[in-house]
Amino acid sequence: MKRWLLWGVLGALVLAYPLLTEGSAVWQRLGALVLLAAIGASAWNIVGGYAGQVSVGHAVFFGFGAYSAVVVYTHLQWPPIAGAPIGMILSMLVAAAIGVPTLRLAGHYFSMATIAVGELVRVLSSTSDFLGGAQGLGGPAMPRSVFDLSFISAAPFYYIFLAVLTLLLGLTWWIERSRMGFYLRAIKDSERAARSLGVSAGQYKLYAYMLSGAFASLAGSLYLCMFGFVDPESGFGILISVKIVVMAALGGAGQLFGPLVGALILVPLEELSNSLLGGQGAGLTFVVYGAIIVIIARFLPSGLLSLLERRKVTRAD
Amino acid sequence: MAKTTRRMTMTGAAALAAGLIRPAMAQDGAVKIGVIYPLSGNSATAGNYSKMALEVGADVVNNGNADLAKLIPLAKGGGLPGLKNAKIQLVFADNQGTPAAGQNQALRLITEEKVAALIGAYQSGVTLTASAIAERHGIPFVNGESVAANLTERGFKWFFRVTPVALDFARAYSDFLKVQKAAGRKTDNIALVHENTEYGNSVGSVIVDQFKKDGFAVGTKIAYSANSSDVQPQVLQLKEKNPDVLIFISYTSDAILYTKTMKELNWKPGIMIADNAGFNDPAFVKSLGSQVEGLINRSAFSAGKAGSVPDLFNKIYTKKTGGDELDDVSVRGLQAFMVLADALNRAGSTEPAKIQAALKATDLPASQMVAGYDGVKFDDKGQNVKAASVVTQMRGGKYVTIAPKERATAEVILPYKGW
Repeated sequence: MKRWLLWGVLGALVLAYPLLTEGSAVWQRLGALVLLAAIGASAWNIVGGYAGQVSVGHAVFFGFGAYSAVVVYTHLQWPPIAGAPIGMILSMLVAAAIGVPTLRLAGHYFSMATIAVGELVRVLSSTSDFLGGAQGLGGPAMPRSVFDLSFISAAPFYYIFLAVLTLLLGLTWWIERSRMGFYLRAIKDSERAARSLGVSAGQYKLYAYMLSGAFASLAGSLYLCMFGFVDPESGFGILISVKIVVMAALGGAGQLFGPLVGALILVPLEELSNSLLGGQGAGLTFVVYGAIIVIIARFLPSGLLSLLERRKVTRAD
Repeated sequence: MAKTTRRMTMTGAAALAAGLIRPAMAQDGAVKIGVIYPLSGNSATAGNYSKMALEVGADVVNNGNADLAKLIPLAKGGGLPGLKNAKIQLVFADNQGTPAAGQNQALRLITEEKVAALIGAYQSGVTLTASAIAERHGIPFVNGESVAANLTERGFKWFFRVTPVALDFARAYSDFLKVQKAAGRKTDNIALVHENTEYGNSVGSVIVDQFKKDGFAVGTKIAYSANSSDVQPQVLQLKEKNPDVLIFISYTSDAILYTKTMKELNWKPGIMIADNAGFNDPAFVKSLGSQVEGLINRSAFSAGKAGSVPDLFNKIYTKKTGGDELDDVSVRGLQAFMVLADALNRAGSTEPAKIQAALKATDLPASQMVAGYDGVKFDDKGQNVKAASVVTQMRGGKYVTIAPKERATAEVILPYKGW
C-alpha cells in the first residue's frame, strides 16, 4: 500500500515537473536533457546490461538516428522527426551487420571491435558530402510547421522524451520477465553454460543488440530535433559512446531503472559544473565531473541502485 | 530506489539553485554581455586567448585608455555614455567545443543571467546551435570568428557576423596573385594542399571556385590528414609537378612537418601562400619562422603603424597575457566586442529590439578598427560587408603587413626564399 503511494507521488512529480519549473527555462530543459540521456543509456542497457555485451560503440546508432533526421530534412525537406523510423530501421540493419561477426567475440574483444567500428563510421561520415562532410548539417533554422518540433520551451520535448522513455522501459520490463530476459541473463552469467542448456546465445545476443541499436538511434533523432545540428564529432564521437556506458554503469547496469538513475546524477552534474565553473576557463568542470564519477565507482562498483539492494538484504536478515 | 533517487535529486536541486539563480543585475546598472567560448576541449587555447582579448575590450570601455581615447570614442572610460554611463560586465560560459553545451549555455545566459546580448561561439557548429536559441528568444548574437557560409543564410534577424568568411580570404589571395601576375611573375601552375577536415575542405573549395572565376586554374589539389606523421609522398608529388604557386591550408603539427620535409627534399615554389591557422600559430612562428622566409599569409590582425588602434590594443593585451600578442582569432573576438559595445551605446537601452536596431545601423570606419577590416556595416543577412583580411609576409621570423596599401608596413619581396 505504502509502496504504491510512493510510486504514485513519484509519477505525479515526474508528470508535473515542467509545470513546477515553469519559471526557469534552464531547469525545464535540464529535465528534458535527463530524459534524453536516459533513453540512450536505457537502450544500451538491453545489450550492455542484461546481455552483458559491453558495447562502446553505441554512438554509431545515435549518429545514424541524428543523421537520418537531418538528412530527410536537408535532401527531402521533410520534418526531421520523420527520419526517426528510417534511422531505427537502418540501425537495426547496421546492428545486424556489425553484430553477426563481432558478437562472436568474447568480453573485451567485443568492446574493442565496437570502438573500432564507431571510429571508422565517424571518419567515413566526415568525408561524405551527402552527410555534410566534416562541417555537419543543420536542421530547419526557422520552424515551418509544428512537426519541425522547434519549440522555445523545453516542456514539449520533455513530454515527448518521457513518452519514449516510458515505452522503452515498458518494453525492457517485459523482456526482463520474458523467456528472452532469462536467456540474456543466462548468457551474461556464463555463455558456455547457457549454450549447453540449449539457449541459442548468438541469436538472442543479436536480437538484444538490434533492439538496443534501434532505440539508441531514436535517441539520436530526438537529439537532432532538439539541438538542430549534427557533425561527425557530435553524432559519432567516441565521447557519446562512453557517456552512455558510464551513465548506465553508474546507475546500475542490468537493472530497469539503472540508466535513468545514472542520467539523473550525471546530466545535472555536468550542466551544473559547467555553469558554475566553466566560465573561469580553468578546465575545472571535467576535474570535478571526473572526481565524482571516480568516487561513486570506488564505493559503489555495481551502481547506485546497489545501495537499495544492500538495504533489502539487510532487511531480510 | 525511489528514496535514493529523490534524495539525490533534491541534493542536486539545492546545489543547482544556489549556483544558478542569481539576481539579474549583479552590479548596479552594469550591462551584462554573455560570452560563449571553448574554454575547455580541443580549442581551449583559442577560447582562452579570446576571453582575455574581450576582457581587455571591457576594461578599455569601463576604465578608459588615454591613447586610445584619441582614436575611439568609447575608450574614454566610465562605461557607455549613451547608456547612463553603464559599465560592461562580461559573463563567460564554456561551450566545451560541443554544439549541445553551446546551446545549453546560451539558454542559461539569456534566461538566468539575463544578458543583453551574446558573443560567441568560435566553432561554426556551436555558433549555429547557440545562435538558434538567441533567435528564438529575440536576443542579439554577435559572432566574431565562425566562417561557415550557412550561418548567415538562415534568415535570422538577431544574428550579426563581423568576421570575413572564406570567400573574403580567397579574394585576398586572388587579388594578391593578380598583382604579381601583372608584375610579370609566373602564376600559371597553382597547387593547393589542404588538410581534410571541415576547415581545410571548406576553405579549399571556396579558393578553387574563386580562382576559377578570376582566371587562375588550380592544377594540383592534395588533401591529407592533419594527423599524418609523414608527408614525404605529398611533397614528392609537389616536387614532380613543380607548381609556381603553392597554397597551404594546414593546422600546426602538419605545417611544421611540411616545412621540415620541403627543406629535406630541397624543393620550394616561386610563391608560397599559407591560409593562417597552423602557419600563424605562435608555436610554429617561434620554432620555424626562419625556415619559411617570404611566406605569404593572411590575418585579421596587423599591428600596423605605431600608435594605431591595433597597435595600442596589442600593447594592453600583451601586458595582460605576459608576452603573447593579439593574433588572428583573438583580434576578431575583440572586434566583435567593440562592435557590440558601440551598438549598446547608441541603443541607449538594454531592450533587445533597440540593440538589434542599433546593430543594423552600425557603420564603423576603418580608422576605428582593431582588426584589419575596412570597417563594419551589416547587410540584410547580418554579414559585415566591410570585413577583409590583410596580407602578410614572413620576414626574419615575424609577419609584416604587405597589403592593402593603407595598412602595409613593408613592400613584398619575392620569390619565396624559405630556409
